[in-house]
Amino acid sequence: MGEQLEQRESFALMHQMGLNDGAIERRKQVVALEHSDLARIARIRDLVLPRVDEFTAAFFEHLAKFDEARPLFDNRALLEKAKRLKAEHLQGLVSGDYSRHYVAQRIELGRLYAVAGLEMRFFLGAFHQLLRFIGNEVMTHSEHAPLEAFDAFMSLKKVAFFDLGLIVDVLVFERERIIRQQQEAIRELSTPVLQLRDRLLLLPIIGVIDTYRARLITENLLEAVRARRAKVVVMDVTGVATIDSRVANHILQTVTAARLMGARVIVTGITAAVAQSLVALGIELDRLLDTVGDLQGGIELAEQILGYRVSQGNASESRANATS
Amino acid sequence: MADEFHVPIEREEDVVIARQKGRELAAAAGFSMTDRTIIALAISEMARNIVSYARRGEVMLRKLDDGARVGILIVAEDEGPGIADIELAMRDGYSTAKSLGVGLPGTKRIMDEFELISVVGKGTKVTMRRWLR
Amino acid sequence: MSVPILKQGDVLIASIQSALSDQDLVQLRDDFAEKIGRLRTRGVVIDVTALDVLDSFATRTLRGIAYIAKLRGAQTVVVGIQPEVAFAMVQLGLSLDGIATALDLEEGLAHLGDTANGSAGDGG
Repeated sequence: MGEQLEQRESFALMHQMGLNDGAIERRKQVVALEHSDLARIARIRDLVLPRVDEFTAAFFEHLAKFDEARPLFDNRALLEKAKRLKAEHLQGLVSGDYSRHYVAQRIELGRLYAVAGLEMRFFLGAFHQLLRFIGNEVMTHSEHAPLEAFDAFMSLKKVAFFDLGLIVDVLVFERERIIRQQQEAIRELSTPVLQLRDRLLLLPIIGVIDTYRARLITENLLEAVRARRAKVVVMDVTGVATIDSRVANHILQTVTAARLMGARVIVTGITAAVAQSLVALGIELDRLLDTVGDLQGGIELAEQILGYRVSQGNASESRANATS
Repeated sequence: MADEFHVPIEREEDVVIARQKGRELAAAAGFSMTDRTIIALAISEMARNIVSYARRGEVMLRKLDDGARVGILIVAEDEGPGIADIELAMRDGYSTAKSLGVGLPGTKRIMDEFELISVVGKGTKVTMRRWLR
Repeated sequence: MSVPILKQGDVLIASIQSALSDQDLVQLRDDFAEKIGRLRTRGVVIDVTALDVLDSFATRTLRGIAYIAKLRGAQTVVVGIQPEVAFAMVQLGLSLDGIATALDLEEGLAHLGDTANGSAGDGG
Protein backbone atom coordinates (compact mmCIF):
# COMPACT_ATOMS: atom_id res chain seq x y z
CA MET A 1 0.00 0.00 0.00
CA GLY A 2 2.79 2.36 0.97
CA GLU A 3 4.56 1.38 -2.20
CA GLN A 4 1.59 2.29 -4.33
CA LEU A 5 1.42 5.69 -2.70
CA GLU A 6 5.10 6.22 -3.34
CA GLN A 7 4.66 5.25 -6.94
CA ARG A 8 1.76 7.64 -7.35
CA GLU A 9 3.88 10.42 -5.88
CA SER A 10 6.70 9.60 -8.25
CA PHE A 11 4.36 9.75 -11.20
CA ALA A 12 3.02 13.04 -9.90
CA LEU A 13 6.54 14.42 -9.67
CA MET A 14 7.27 13.17 -13.18
CA HIS A 15 4.27 15.10 -14.35
CA GLN A 16 5.44 18.25 -12.59
CA MET A 17 8.86 17.85 -14.15
CA GLY A 18 7.33 17.39 -17.57
CA LEU A 19 8.61 13.84 -17.94
CA ASN A 20 6.03 12.55 -20.37
CA ASP A 21 6.72 9.80 -22.90
CA GLY A 22 7.94 12.31 -25.44
CA ALA A 23 10.37 13.84 -22.97
CA ILE A 24 11.68 10.42 -22.04
CA GLU A 25 12.32 9.52 -25.66
CA ARG A 26 14.11 12.81 -26.09
CA ARG A 27 16.39 12.02 -23.17
CA LYS A 28 17.27 8.71 -24.76
CA GLN A 29 18.17 10.55 -27.93
CA VAL A 30 20.34 12.88 -25.90
CA VAL A 31 22.48 9.93 -24.73
CA ALA A 32 22.16 8.27 -28.15
CA LEU A 33 20.56 5.18 -26.68
CA GLU A 34 19.45 2.94 -29.55
CA HIS A 35 18.16 -0.54 -30.27
CA SER A 36 21.64 -1.84 -30.94
CA ASP A 37 22.57 -0.81 -27.43
CA LEU A 38 19.75 -2.85 -25.98
CA ALA A 39 20.99 -5.94 -27.74
CA ARG A 40 24.50 -5.43 -26.38
CA ILE A 41 23.26 -4.87 -22.85
CA ALA A 42 21.25 -8.07 -23.04
CA ARG A 43 24.52 -9.94 -23.62
CA ILE A 44 26.01 -8.90 -20.28
CA ARG A 45 22.81 -9.22 -18.35
CA ASP A 46 23.76 -12.55 -16.83
CA LEU A 47 27.03 -11.12 -15.61
CA VAL A 48 25.30 -8.38 -13.66
CA LEU A 49 22.13 -9.92 -12.28
CA PRO A 50 23.71 -12.53 -9.98
CA ARG A 51 25.88 -9.87 -8.37
CA VAL A 52 23.30 -7.17 -7.81
CA ASP A 53 23.64 -7.40 -4.04
CA GLU A 54 27.42 -7.05 -4.22
CA PHE A 55 27.16 -4.02 -6.42
CA THR A 56 24.52 -2.45 -4.20
CA ALA A 57 26.77 -2.98 -1.18
CA ALA A 58 29.69 -1.38 -3.02
CA PHE A 59 27.62 1.70 -3.75
CA PHE A 60 26.63 2.21 -0.14
CA GLU A 61 30.01 1.31 1.27
CA HIS A 62 31.49 4.14 -0.71
CA LEU A 63 28.83 6.57 0.49
CA ALA A 64 29.35 5.52 4.09
CA LYS A 65 32.87 6.91 3.97
CA PHE A 66 31.53 10.44 3.96
CA ASP A 67 30.12 12.33 6.94
CA GLU A 68 27.80 14.27 4.70
CA ALA A 69 25.94 11.07 3.88
CA ARG A 70 25.27 10.46 7.59
CA PRO A 71 21.59 11.54 7.47
CA LEU A 72 20.93 8.72 5.05
CA PHE A 73 22.71 6.12 7.18
CA ASP A 74 21.28 7.32 10.46
CA ASN A 75 17.77 6.72 9.22
CA ARG A 76 17.42 2.97 9.20
CA ALA A 77 14.11 2.85 7.36
CA LEU A 78 15.35 5.26 4.74
CA LEU A 79 18.57 3.32 4.26
CA GLU A 80 16.81 0.00 3.87
CA LYS A 81 14.51 1.48 1.33
CA ALA A 82 17.40 3.08 -0.53
CA LYS A 83 19.18 -0.26 -0.71
CA ARG A 84 16.11 -1.99 -1.97
CA LEU A 85 15.53 0.64 -4.61
CA LYS A 86 19.18 0.49 -5.65
CA ALA A 87 19.01 -3.26 -6.13
CA GLU A 88 15.87 -2.81 -8.20
CA HIS A 89 17.66 -0.14 -10.14
CA LEU A 90 20.51 -2.43 -11.05
CA GLN A 91 18.08 -5.06 -12.19
CA GLY A 92 16.29 -2.49 -14.26
CA LEU A 93 19.58 -1.19 -15.61
CA VAL A 94 20.24 -4.37 -17.56
CA SER A 95 16.61 -5.11 -18.31
CA GLY A 96 16.51 -3.31 -21.64
CA ASP A 97 13.23 -1.61 -20.78
CA TYR A 98 13.69 2.07 -19.98
CA SER A 99 10.24 3.51 -20.28
CA ARG A 100 7.82 5.19 -17.87
CA HIS A 101 8.04 2.63 -15.16
CA TYR A 102 11.82 2.63 -15.12
CA VAL A 103 11.88 6.40 -15.06
CA ALA A 104 9.42 6.44 -12.17
CA GLN A 105 11.79 4.22 -10.21
CA ARG A 106 14.67 6.63 -10.87
CA ILE A 107 12.51 9.50 -9.74
CA GLU A 108 11.58 7.67 -6.59
CA LEU A 109 15.20 7.04 -5.74
CA GLY A 110 16.07 10.63 -6.59
CA ARG A 111 13.33 11.85 -4.25
CA LEU A 112 14.72 9.66 -1.51
CA TYR A 113 18.17 11.20 -1.90
CA ALA A 114 16.57 14.66 -1.83
CA VAL A 115 14.78 13.79 1.39
CA ALA A 116 18.02 12.47 2.88
CA GLY A 117 19.69 15.72 1.90
CA LEU A 118 22.28 13.85 -0.14
CA GLU A 119 24.29 16.34 -2.12
CA MET A 120 24.85 15.67 -5.78
CA ARG A 121 28.61 15.16 -5.69
CA PHE A 122 28.36 12.30 -3.18
CA PHE A 123 25.79 10.56 -5.22
CA LEU A 124 27.92 11.03 -8.33
CA GLY A 125 30.99 9.65 -6.60
CA ALA A 126 29.17 6.55 -5.43
CA PHE A 127 27.53 6.07 -8.79
CA HIS A 128 30.90 6.18 -10.50
CA GLN A 129 32.25 3.58 -8.09
CA LEU A 130 29.31 1.39 -8.93
CA LEU A 131 29.95 1.68 -12.64
CA ARG A 132 33.61 0.86 -12.11
CA PHE A 133 32.68 -2.30 -10.24
CA ILE A 134 30.27 -3.38 -12.91
CA GLY A 135 32.83 -2.57 -15.59
CA ASN A 136 35.44 -4.66 -13.81
CA GLU A 137 33.10 -7.61 -13.55
CA VAL A 138 32.15 -7.43 -17.17
CA MET A 139 35.73 -7.20 -18.42
CA THR A 140 37.08 -9.85 -16.07
CA HIS A 141 34.52 -12.38 -17.24
CA SER A 142 34.85 -11.61 -20.90
CA GLU A 143 38.48 -12.32 -21.61
CA HIS A 144 37.46 -14.29 -24.66
CA ALA A 145 35.69 -11.35 -26.23
CA PRO A 146 37.06 -8.15 -24.72
CA LEU A 147 35.97 -5.79 -27.51
CA GLU A 148 32.41 -7.01 -27.37
CA ALA A 149 32.42 -6.68 -23.61
CA PHE A 150 33.74 -3.15 -23.89
CA ASP A 151 31.01 -2.24 -26.39
CA ALA A 152 28.39 -3.75 -24.14
CA PHE A 153 29.67 -1.81 -21.19
CA MET A 154 29.65 1.43 -23.18
CA SER A 155 26.03 0.76 -24.10
CA LEU A 156 25.28 0.24 -20.44
CA LYS A 157 26.98 3.52 -19.69
CA LYS A 158 24.52 5.27 -21.95
CA VAL A 159 21.72 4.07 -19.73
CA ALA A 160 23.76 5.09 -16.70
CA PHE A 161 24.01 8.63 -18.05
CA PHE A 162 20.32 8.59 -18.82
CA ASP A 163 19.83 7.74 -15.15
CA LEU A 164 22.20 10.44 -14.01
CA GLY A 165 20.32 13.04 -15.99
CA LEU A 166 17.11 12.05 -14.24
CA ILE A 167 18.48 11.90 -10.72
CA VAL A 168 20.26 15.22 -11.05
CA ASP A 169 17.15 16.87 -12.40
CA VAL A 170 15.10 15.53 -9.53
CA LEU A 171 17.57 16.87 -6.98
CA VAL A 172 17.58 20.28 -8.64
CA PHE A 173 13.82 20.34 -8.92
CA GLU A 174 13.32 19.47 -5.29
CA ARG A 175 15.87 22.01 -4.16
CA GLU A 176 14.15 24.73 -6.18
CA ARG A 177 10.85 23.74 -4.66
CA ILE A 178 12.28 24.16 -1.18
CA ILE A 179 13.72 27.53 -2.06
CA ARG A 180 10.35 28.68 -3.37
CA GLN A 181 8.69 27.54 -0.16
CA GLN A 182 11.27 29.30 1.94
CA GLN A 183 10.80 32.49 0.00
CA GLU A 184 7.06 32.29 0.60
CA ALA A 185 7.61 31.70 4.29
CA ILE A 186 9.99 34.62 4.56
CA ARG A 187 7.52 36.83 2.86
CA GLU A 188 4.80 35.76 5.25
CA LEU A 189 7.00 36.23 8.28
CA SER A 190 8.20 39.62 7.24
CA THR A 191 4.74 41.13 7.29
CA PRO A 192 3.14 39.87 10.45
CA VAL A 193 0.02 41.42 11.86
CA LEU A 194 -0.35 40.82 15.57
CA GLN A 195 -3.52 41.00 17.57
CA LEU A 196 -2.83 42.94 20.73
CA ARG A 197 -6.35 43.06 22.07
CA ASP A 198 -9.87 42.83 20.87
CA ARG A 199 -10.22 45.14 17.83
CA LEU A 200 -6.59 46.27 18.18
CA LEU A 201 -3.84 45.18 15.82
CA LEU A 202 -0.12 45.82 15.89
CA LEU A 203 1.84 45.94 12.68
CA PRO A 204 5.59 46.18 13.29
CA ILE A 205 7.48 46.91 10.10
CA ILE A 206 11.13 46.07 9.85
CA GLY A 207 13.66 46.50 7.09
CA VAL A 208 13.54 47.96 3.64
CA ILE A 209 10.23 48.89 2.11
CA ASP A 210 10.12 48.66 -1.64
CA THR A 211 6.98 48.95 -3.70
CA TYR A 212 6.45 45.21 -3.77
CA ARG A 213 6.82 44.80 -0.04
CA ALA A 214 4.70 47.85 0.68
CA ARG A 215 1.93 46.28 -1.29
CA LEU A 216 2.24 42.98 0.54
CA ILE A 217 2.13 44.77 3.86
CA THR A 218 -0.95 46.74 2.87
CA GLU A 219 -2.75 43.69 1.53
CA ASN A 220 -1.96 41.71 4.67
CA LEU A 221 -3.07 44.51 6.92
CA LEU A 222 -6.35 45.11 5.10
CA GLU A 223 -7.15 41.42 5.16
CA ALA A 224 -6.38 41.33 8.88
CA VAL A 225 -8.63 44.35 9.48
CA ARG A 226 -11.44 42.46 7.81
CA ALA A 227 -10.80 39.09 9.41
CA ARG A 228 -10.21 40.34 12.96
CA ARG A 229 -12.61 43.27 12.77
CA ALA A 230 -9.97 45.72 13.82
CA LYS A 231 -10.92 49.26 14.75
CA VAL A 232 -7.45 50.52 15.52
CA VAL A 233 -4.06 49.56 14.14
CA VAL A 234 -0.74 50.59 15.60
CA MET A 235 1.78 50.60 12.78
CA ASP A 236 5.30 50.83 14.10
CA VAL A 237 7.99 51.92 11.68
CA THR A 238 10.87 52.14 14.14
CA GLY A 239 12.60 49.32 12.33
CA VAL A 240 12.21 50.70 8.85
CA ALA A 241 15.61 51.32 7.29
CA THR A 242 14.96 54.50 5.36
CA ILE A 243 11.87 56.64 5.31
CA ASP A 244 12.01 58.79 2.22
CA SER A 245 9.15 60.38 0.36
CA ARG A 246 8.31 57.16 -1.41
CA VAL A 247 8.09 55.18 1.80
CA ALA A 248 6.10 57.98 3.38
CA ASN A 249 3.73 57.70 0.47
CA HIS A 250 3.36 53.96 0.99
CA ILE A 251 2.59 54.56 4.64
CA LEU A 252 0.03 57.16 3.70
CA GLN A 253 -1.65 54.85 1.24
CA THR A 254 -1.82 52.05 3.77
CA VAL A 255 -3.36 54.33 6.34
CA THR A 256 -5.91 55.70 3.89
CA ALA A 257 -6.92 52.25 2.71
CA ALA A 258 -7.36 51.01 6.27
CA ARG A 259 -9.47 54.04 7.05
CA LEU A 260 -11.78 53.16 4.16
CA MET A 261 -12.42 49.94 6.04
CA GLY A 262 -13.26 51.78 9.20
CA ALA A 263 -9.94 51.22 10.95
CA ARG A 264 -7.88 54.03 12.38
CA VAL A 265 -4.12 53.71 12.03
CA ILE A 266 -1.67 55.19 14.51
CA VAL A 267 1.84 55.39 13.13
CA THR A 268 4.60 55.15 15.71
CA GLY A 269 8.33 55.27 15.48
CA ILE A 270 8.90 58.24 13.22
CA THR A 271 11.84 59.97 14.77
CA ALA A 272 12.14 63.71 14.94
CA ALA A 273 14.98 63.55 12.46
CA VAL A 274 12.92 61.62 9.95
CA ALA A 275 9.96 63.94 10.43
CA GLN A 276 12.15 66.94 9.74
CA SER A 277 13.66 65.47 6.62
CA LEU A 278 10.18 64.74 5.32
CA VAL A 279 9.06 68.28 6.04
CA ALA A 280 12.01 69.44 3.96
CA LEU A 281 10.55 67.35 1.15
CA GLY A 282 7.22 69.03 1.59
CA ILE A 283 5.55 66.19 3.45
CA GLU A 284 4.04 66.99 6.80
CA LEU A 285 3.25 63.54 8.01
CA ASP A 286 1.70 64.48 11.31
CA ARG A 287 -0.87 66.59 9.56
CA LEU A 288 -1.85 63.68 7.40
CA LEU A 289 -1.61 60.87 9.91
CA ASP A 290 -2.03 60.06 13.55
CA THR A 291 1.57 59.82 14.67
CA VAL A 292 2.97 59.10 18.09
CA GLY A 293 6.65 59.12 18.90
CA ASP A 294 7.06 55.77 20.54
CA LEU A 295 5.35 52.44 20.39
CA GLN A 296 4.18 52.40 23.98
CA GLY A 297 2.54 55.78 23.55
CA GLY A 298 0.87 54.58 20.39
CA ILE A 299 -0.55 51.51 22.08
CA GLU A 300 -1.86 53.58 24.95
CA LEU A 301 -3.56 55.96 22.56
CA ALA A 302 -5.08 53.01 20.73
CA GLU A 303 -6.42 51.57 23.96
CA GLN A 304 -7.87 54.93 24.87
CA ILE A 305 -9.65 55.17 21.55
CA LEU A 306 -11.10 51.74 22.04
CA GLY A 307 -12.34 52.67 25.47
CA TYR A 308 -10.00 50.64 27.61
CA ARG A 309 -9.33 52.50 30.82
CA VAL A 310 -5.66 53.41 30.95
CA SER A 311 -4.20 54.34 34.33
CA GLN A 312 -0.61 55.21 35.10
CA GLY A 313 0.55 53.56 31.88
CA ASN A 314 -0.84 50.30 33.14
CA ALA A 315 -3.84 49.37 31.05
CA SER A 316 -6.44 47.56 33.08
CA GLU A 317 -8.71 44.97 31.58
CA SER A 318 -11.93 46.76 32.26
CA ARG A 319 -13.50 48.55 29.39
CA ALA A 320 -14.95 51.97 30.03
CA ASN A 321 -18.47 52.23 28.70
CA ALA A 322 -19.20 54.94 26.21
CA THR A 323 -20.69 57.85 28.01
CA SER A 324 -24.44 57.60 27.87
CA MET B 1 -11.86 31.08 -22.70
CA ALA B 2 -10.89 33.34 -25.60
CA ASP B 3 -7.84 35.56 -25.28
CA GLU B 4 -9.29 38.71 -26.78
CA PHE B 5 -12.51 40.64 -26.37
CA HIS B 6 -13.95 43.72 -28.00
CA VAL B 7 -16.60 45.47 -25.95
CA PRO B 8 -18.50 48.24 -27.72
CA ILE B 9 -19.11 51.16 -25.39
CA GLU B 10 -22.22 53.19 -26.01
CA ARG B 11 -24.23 53.20 -22.83
CA GLU B 12 -23.37 53.18 -19.16
CA GLU B 13 -24.33 49.54 -18.92
CA ASP B 14 -21.44 48.79 -21.24
CA VAL B 15 -19.03 50.14 -18.64
CA VAL B 16 -20.10 47.36 -16.31
CA ILE B 17 -19.82 44.79 -19.10
CA ALA B 18 -16.32 45.89 -20.01
CA ARG B 19 -15.32 45.82 -16.38
CA GLN B 20 -16.69 42.31 -15.79
CA LYS B 21 -15.06 40.98 -18.93
CA GLY B 22 -11.78 42.50 -17.84
CA ARG B 23 -12.09 40.86 -14.48
CA GLU B 24 -12.77 37.49 -16.08
CA LEU B 25 -9.81 37.77 -18.41
CA ALA B 26 -7.57 38.86 -15.57
CA ALA B 27 -8.71 35.89 -13.51
CA ALA B 28 -7.99 33.55 -16.42
CA ALA B 29 -4.52 35.04 -16.72
CA GLY B 30 -3.88 34.30 -13.07
CA PHE B 31 -3.99 37.77 -11.53
CA SER B 32 -4.62 38.02 -7.80
CA MET B 33 -7.87 39.30 -6.36
CA THR B 34 -6.32 42.68 -5.69
CA ASP B 35 -4.90 42.97 -9.19
CA ARG B 36 -8.22 42.01 -10.72
CA THR B 37 -9.93 44.78 -8.82
CA ILE B 38 -7.33 47.28 -9.95
CA ILE B 39 -7.69 46.18 -13.56
CA ALA B 40 -11.47 46.37 -13.34
CA LEU B 41 -11.15 49.85 -11.92
CA ALA B 42 -8.85 51.00 -14.73
CA ILE B 43 -11.24 49.65 -17.35
CA SER B 44 -14.16 51.27 -15.61
CA GLU B 45 -12.52 54.67 -15.60
CA MET B 46 -11.52 54.55 -19.25
CA ALA B 47 -14.86 53.17 -20.43
CA ARG B 48 -16.63 55.79 -18.42
CA ASN B 49 -14.64 58.53 -20.13
CA ILE B 50 -15.79 57.17 -23.47
CA VAL B 51 -19.43 57.28 -22.45
CA SER B 52 -19.15 60.72 -20.92
CA TYR B 53 -17.28 62.40 -23.70
CA ALA B 54 -17.21 60.45 -26.91
CA ARG B 55 -20.62 58.89 -26.72
CA ARG B 56 -19.31 55.85 -28.46
CA GLY B 57 -16.15 53.81 -28.56
CA GLU B 58 -14.66 50.44 -27.81
CA VAL B 59 -12.68 48.69 -25.13
CA MET B 60 -10.42 45.91 -26.33
CA LEU B 61 -9.08 43.39 -23.86
CA ARG B 62 -6.36 40.90 -24.61
CA LYS B 63 -4.50 38.39 -22.54
CA LEU B 64 -0.76 38.73 -23.05
CA ASP B 65 1.80 35.94 -23.00
CA ASP B 66 5.23 36.58 -24.43
CA GLY B 67 6.69 33.36 -23.11
CA ALA B 68 8.46 35.03 -20.24
CA ARG B 69 5.51 36.64 -18.54
CA VAL B 70 1.75 36.88 -18.57
CA GLY B 71 -0.36 40.03 -18.53
CA ILE B 72 -3.36 41.90 -19.82
CA LEU B 73 -3.67 44.55 -22.51
CA ILE B 74 -6.45 47.11 -22.41
CA VAL B 75 -7.14 49.53 -25.23
CA ALA B 76 -9.89 52.11 -24.79
CA GLU B 77 -10.57 53.89 -28.04
CA ASP B 78 -13.12 56.39 -29.29
CA GLU B 79 -13.77 58.90 -32.06
CA GLY B 80 -14.86 61.61 -29.72
CA PRO B 81 -13.81 65.23 -29.37
CA GLY B 82 -10.37 64.37 -28.07
CA ILE B 83 -8.54 66.01 -25.19
CA ALA B 84 -7.33 69.51 -25.88
CA ASP B 85 -4.74 69.76 -23.14
CA ILE B 86 -3.39 66.33 -22.38
CA GLU B 87 -0.85 67.58 -19.90
CA LEU B 88 -3.56 69.26 -17.91
CA ALA B 89 -5.75 66.20 -18.01
CA MET B 90 -2.93 64.06 -16.70
CA ARG B 91 -2.29 66.31 -13.77
CA ASP B 92 -3.49 65.08 -10.41
CA GLY B 93 -6.53 66.85 -9.08
CA TYR B 94 -7.69 68.28 -12.37
CA SER B 95 -11.35 67.85 -13.07
CA THR B 96 -14.12 69.43 -15.09
CA ALA B 97 -17.79 69.44 -14.35
CA LYS B 98 -18.11 65.90 -15.62
CA SER B 99 -14.72 65.06 -14.20
CA LEU B 100 -12.85 64.10 -17.30
CA GLY B 101 -9.48 62.84 -16.29
CA VAL B 102 -10.25 62.13 -12.66
CA GLY B 103 -9.38 58.67 -13.75
CA LEU B 104 -6.43 59.43 -16.04
CA PRO B 105 -3.52 60.20 -13.72
CA GLY B 106 -4.71 57.65 -11.23
CA THR B 107 -5.11 54.99 -13.89
CA LYS B 108 -1.63 55.69 -15.18
CA ARG B 109 -0.34 55.10 -11.68
CA ILE B 110 -1.92 51.71 -11.28
CA MET B 111 -1.00 50.27 -14.66
CA ASP B 112 2.47 49.04 -15.51
CA GLU B 113 2.37 50.64 -18.96
CA PHE B 114 0.16 53.54 -19.97
CA GLU B 115 -0.04 55.48 -23.20
CA LEU B 116 -2.50 58.16 -24.19
CA ILE B 117 -2.96 59.47 -27.71
CA SER B 118 -5.56 62.11 -28.37
CA VAL B 119 -6.26 64.44 -31.26
CA VAL B 120 -8.87 67.17 -31.00
CA GLY B 121 -11.73 66.43 -33.34
CA LYS B 122 -10.55 62.92 -34.10
CA GLY B 123 -10.55 60.89 -30.94
CA THR B 124 -8.69 59.35 -28.04
CA LYS B 125 -6.88 56.08 -27.57
CA VAL B 126 -5.61 54.81 -24.26
CA THR B 127 -3.35 51.77 -24.26
CA MET B 128 -2.40 50.11 -20.99
CA ARG B 129 -0.80 46.91 -19.81
CA ARG B 130 -0.46 45.19 -16.52
CA TRP B 131 1.83 42.25 -15.94
CA LEU B 132 1.62 39.40 -13.50
CA ARG B 133 4.25 39.68 -10.83
CA MET C 1 -32.12 47.52 -10.59
CA SER C 2 -33.08 49.84 -7.81
CA VAL C 3 -31.68 49.70 -4.31
CA PRO C 4 -34.21 49.64 -1.47
CA ILE C 5 -33.72 52.15 1.33
CA LEU C 6 -34.80 50.87 4.73
CA LYS C 7 -35.67 52.93 7.71
CA GLN C 8 -34.48 51.89 11.16
CA GLY C 9 -35.57 54.49 13.67
CA ASP C 10 -34.13 57.72 12.36
CA VAL C 11 -31.44 56.02 10.34
CA LEU C 12 -31.75 55.23 6.66
CA ILE C 13 -29.96 52.11 5.43
CA ALA C 14 -29.22 51.05 1.86
CA SER C 15 -27.50 47.77 1.00
CA ILE C 16 -26.09 47.84 -2.48
CA GLN C 17 -26.10 44.57 -4.40
CA SER C 18 -23.42 43.89 -6.96
CA ALA C 19 -22.71 45.80 -10.15
CA LEU C 20 -24.76 48.96 -10.08
CA SER C 21 -24.96 50.92 -13.28
CA ASP C 22 -24.41 54.67 -13.27
CA GLN C 23 -28.13 55.14 -13.64
CA ASP C 24 -28.84 52.99 -10.60
CA LEU C 25 -26.39 55.05 -8.57
CA VAL C 26 -27.99 58.29 -9.62
CA GLN C 27 -31.39 56.81 -8.81
CA LEU C 28 -30.14 55.87 -5.37
CA ARG C 29 -28.91 59.36 -4.76
CA ASP C 30 -32.26 60.80 -5.81
CA ASP C 31 -34.14 58.30 -3.64
CA PHE C 32 -32.03 59.31 -0.68
CA ALA C 33 -32.59 62.95 -1.39
CA GLU C 34 -36.33 62.38 -1.37
CA LYS C 35 -36.38 60.34 1.80
CA ILE C 36 -33.92 62.49 3.75
CA GLY C 37 -36.04 65.48 2.82
CA ARG C 38 -39.25 63.88 3.93
CA LEU C 39 -38.28 61.86 7.00
CA ARG C 40 -36.51 62.97 10.13
CA THR C 41 -33.08 61.48 9.54
CA ARG C 42 -30.15 61.40 11.91
CA GLY C 43 -27.93 59.08 9.97
CA VAL C 44 -27.41 57.31 6.67
CA VAL C 45 -25.68 53.97 6.26
CA ILE C 46 -24.66 52.76 2.82
CA ASP C 47 -23.50 49.16 2.70
CA VAL C 48 -21.18 48.47 -0.24
CA THR C 49 -20.02 45.01 0.88
CA ALA C 50 -21.19 43.43 -2.36
CA LEU C 51 -19.51 45.95 -4.65
CA ASP C 52 -16.38 44.52 -6.22
CA VAL C 53 -15.16 47.89 -7.37
CA LEU C 54 -15.70 51.53 -6.41
CA ASP C 55 -14.79 53.79 -9.27
CA SER C 56 -14.71 57.56 -9.58
CA PHE C 57 -18.39 57.80 -10.42
CA ALA C 58 -19.44 55.69 -7.48
CA THR C 59 -17.29 57.67 -5.06
CA ARG C 60 -18.65 60.91 -6.46
CA THR C 61 -22.19 59.67 -5.97
CA LEU C 62 -21.47 58.59 -2.42
CA ARG C 63 -20.03 62.01 -1.70
CA GLY C 64 -23.16 63.51 -3.22
CA ILE C 65 -25.39 61.50 -0.92
CA ALA C 66 -23.30 62.48 2.10
CA TYR C 67 -23.56 66.13 1.12
CA ILE C 68 -27.34 65.99 0.83
CA ALA C 69 -27.51 64.22 4.18
CA LYS C 70 -25.30 66.81 5.82
CA LEU C 71 -27.50 69.63 4.56
CA ARG C 72 -30.32 68.06 6.54
CA GLY C 73 -28.15 67.51 9.60
CA ALA C 74 -27.61 63.80 9.05
CA GLN C 75 -24.33 61.92 9.17
CA THR C 76 -23.33 59.36 6.56
CA VAL C 77 -21.35 56.19 7.09
CA VAL C 78 -20.16 54.00 4.24
CA VAL C 79 -19.61 50.42 5.36
CA GLY C 80 -18.32 47.19 3.90
CA ILE C 81 -15.53 48.36 1.62
CA GLN C 82 -13.57 45.18 0.91
CA PRO C 83 -9.76 44.96 1.19
CA GLU C 84 -9.15 44.79 -2.58
CA VAL C 85 -11.56 47.62 -3.26
CA ALA C 86 -9.96 49.84 -0.61
CA PHE C 87 -6.53 49.06 -2.01
CA ALA C 88 -7.56 49.80 -5.60
CA MET C 89 -9.23 53.06 -4.61
CA VAL C 90 -6.18 54.29 -2.78
CA GLN C 91 -3.92 53.29 -5.65
CA LEU C 92 -6.09 55.17 -8.10
CA GLY C 93 -6.27 58.16 -5.79
CA LEU C 94 -9.98 58.04 -5.07
CA SER C 95 -11.05 59.23 -1.69
CA LEU C 96 -14.12 59.36 0.49
CA ASP C 97 -12.77 62.32 2.39
CA GLY C 98 -15.21 63.66 4.88
CA ILE C 99 -17.39 60.58 4.89
CA ALA C 100 -17.13 58.25 7.85
CA THR C 101 -16.40 54.63 7.11
CA ALA C 102 -16.86 51.47 9.12
CA LEU C 103 -16.23 47.78 8.74
CA ASP C 104 -19.83 46.63 8.39
CA LEU C 105 -23.44 47.47 9.08
CA GLU C 106 -23.15 46.70 12.78
CA GLU C 107 -20.14 48.93 13.17
CA GLY C 108 -21.74 51.62 11.06
CA LEU C 109 -24.82 51.78 13.27
CA ALA C 110 -22.61 51.74 16.36
CA HIS C 111 -20.68 54.66 14.97
CA LEU C 112 -23.87 56.62 14.43
CA GLY C 113 -24.95 55.70 17.93
CA ASP C 114 -21.65 56.88 19.41
CA THR C 115 -21.68 60.17 17.61
CA ALA C 116 -25.31 60.73 18.47
CA ASN C 117 -24.39 60.29 22.14
CA GLY C 118 -21.66 62.81 21.76
CA SER C 119 -18.75 60.58 22.72
CA ALA C 120 -15.61 60.70 20.60
CA GLY C 121 -16.05 58.60 17.49
CA ASP C 122 -13.55 58.03 14.74
CA GLY C 123 -12.95 61.11 12.65
CA GLY C 124 -14.10 59.75 9.24
